[in-house]
Amino acid sequence: MANWIPLWLHKLSSPPVFYRFAGSLRPWAITLAVLLGVIALYGGLVLAPSDYQQGNDYRIIFIHVPCAWMSLFIYGVMGVAAFIALVWRIKLAEVIAMASAPIGAAFTFITLVTGSLWGERMWGTWWTWDARLTSELVLLFLYLGVIALYHSFEDRRQGARTAAFLALIGIINVPIVHFSVNWWNTLHQGSTIRLLGPSTIATSMLWPLLTMMAATKLYYIASLFGRARVDLLTLESGKDWVRQIAQNEVRG
Amino acid sequence: MIETRRPGLAHACAAVLRRDLTLAWRLRGDMVLPVLYALIVTSLFPFALGPENALLRRIAGGVVLVTILLAMLLAMDAMFRSDIEDGSLEQLMLAPQPLAVMLGMKILAHWLATALPLIVVAPLLAGMLHLPATVIPVLLAALLLATPLLSLLGGILVALTAGTRRSGMLLALMLLPLCVPVVIFAAGALAAAQEGLPWIAPIAWLGAALVLAVVLAPLACAAALRIALDS
Amino acid sequence: MNGASLSSFFAMGGYAVYVWPAYGVFIIVLLMDWLAPQFRRRRVLREVRSRMARQDGRKARASAPASLEEEGRGEGLRLP
Repeated sequence: MANWIPLWLHKLSSPPVFYRFAGSLRPWAITLAVLLGVIALYGGLVLAPSDYQQGNDYRIIFIHVPCAWMSLFIYGVMGVAAFIALVWRIKLAEVIAMASAPIGAAFTFITLVTGSLWGERMWGTWWTWDARLTSELVLLFLYLGVIALYHSFEDRRQGARTAAFLALIGIINVPIVHFSVNWWNTLHQGSTIRLLGPSTIATSMLWPLLTMMAATKLYYIASLFGRARVDLLTLESGKDWVRQIAQNEVRG
Repeated sequence: MIETRRPGLAHACAAVLRRDLTLAWRLRGDMVLPVLYALIVTSLFPFALGPENALLRRIAGGVVLVTILLAMLLAMDAMFRSDIEDGSLEQLMLAPQPLAVMLGMKILAHWLATALPLIVVAPLLAGMLHLPATVIPVLLAALLLATPLLSLLGGILVALTAGTRRSGMLLALMLLPLCVPVVIFAAGALAAAQEGLPWIAPIAWLGAALVLAVVLAPLACAAALRIALDS
Repeated sequence: MNGASLSSFFAMGGYAVYVWPAYGVFIIVLLMDWLAPQFRRRRVLREVRSRMARQDGRKARASAPASLEEEGRGEGLRLP
């Protein structure tokens, strides 16, 4: 097997190397994300025909569904990074986990707002205690808990490790919450949101959706790298490589 | 080297339990506070919603559950507070006995001191809101399973916040996602019992969760404490 | 695209009230998420520079013994 992959990963986990690597990759990721996002918006808002049942407001799904998907995906990434941070105590993994939390919270917030705008149109109410909306709300509280716990410690690394533990507890909690909320909904006969029903979806609607999913993924990479770079600068502010960056910045 | 007999695990457990209960008994005033809080909150509901029996009966189960949960949250912050301040928790971490078992005993003591009085007054609270007498055994069963579950989950979170100075609001924010399933199943059992439907299933789910938590939560609590106090 | 179709595009068949706020929230929230670390980065680097300047000044004053050189190195910056 190729021996250079673990070696490369090991090198990458050193803060200055990752700082440069992320810095060189980030502009590409954000450019591609904006480009794909604009294409997806054009496809979704202009090219896709209006739905025969729901008119034009179904166009919310072009952002709602990718954001909902990202809110779960980022929690998964955060959980994996948290596990690595706790088991192997790698500084970079702590930084990645803690940088993911605010981005995930942002996507969860967008999901909730767009979902409730959709709900207002569909059943004339902003909020309904639907299983998916409620799970998403609980997810937002999990994100906020991780962020708050991280910031309540004076020592950054200790805060990161403690919040990483909370993130792992949350990973166990999410399926339990979803199961219990589903059970609760059948008990109380709640209504369900069906943004993507079992009905077939036309290709003209599908490709903007998939493009937007790719765009949000790339945006996440770009934003994560940006946040991780700043966190590394903060953590290593006494080291020489940070001083050099600080000096170069003032000239450039 | 002097040969000293190391106290056995059961002996150490009993000692921790006795110490915590003695401390709680010396501060009886603090033990009464959550009960008083629950009484005040419950008596406010009829003022806010009007004294119609039918309405109160419908919300009684949920109100009593949520009130008791909030009262427990009020007392949860203090679970390890004094032990961290006087350093006895660090002694416990250095002790040869497994930390998880010792913390389990501390959580048990905390549950006995705060949740048990609340369960005792729960029928009174339910009566104030006209909960039918036939539902009260279900309420007690649900509380007997849900409150230790909350104490165990809270214990993990309190351990996580052990290294921070203020943690009251933070604890509430962190506990909310964890207690959602507990509240759903406990309230579900009450609602089912009130409508004359079978209520065994949600109670069984709570029981299963409690068994899991009794095994896993002390371990998680010990791990959390080691992370939070590690420097 | 002529004027009529453009205005009908913005009207979204009467659902503009729902569609445009959704897209607005999407863009504003992500923009905030993008800008926050940029500002933080600038502040961190400024603090590093000011600390370096302080240390240089101290070094210049105590140049003869030159024993304070390593002071303050390696400690992390604390930000709120």
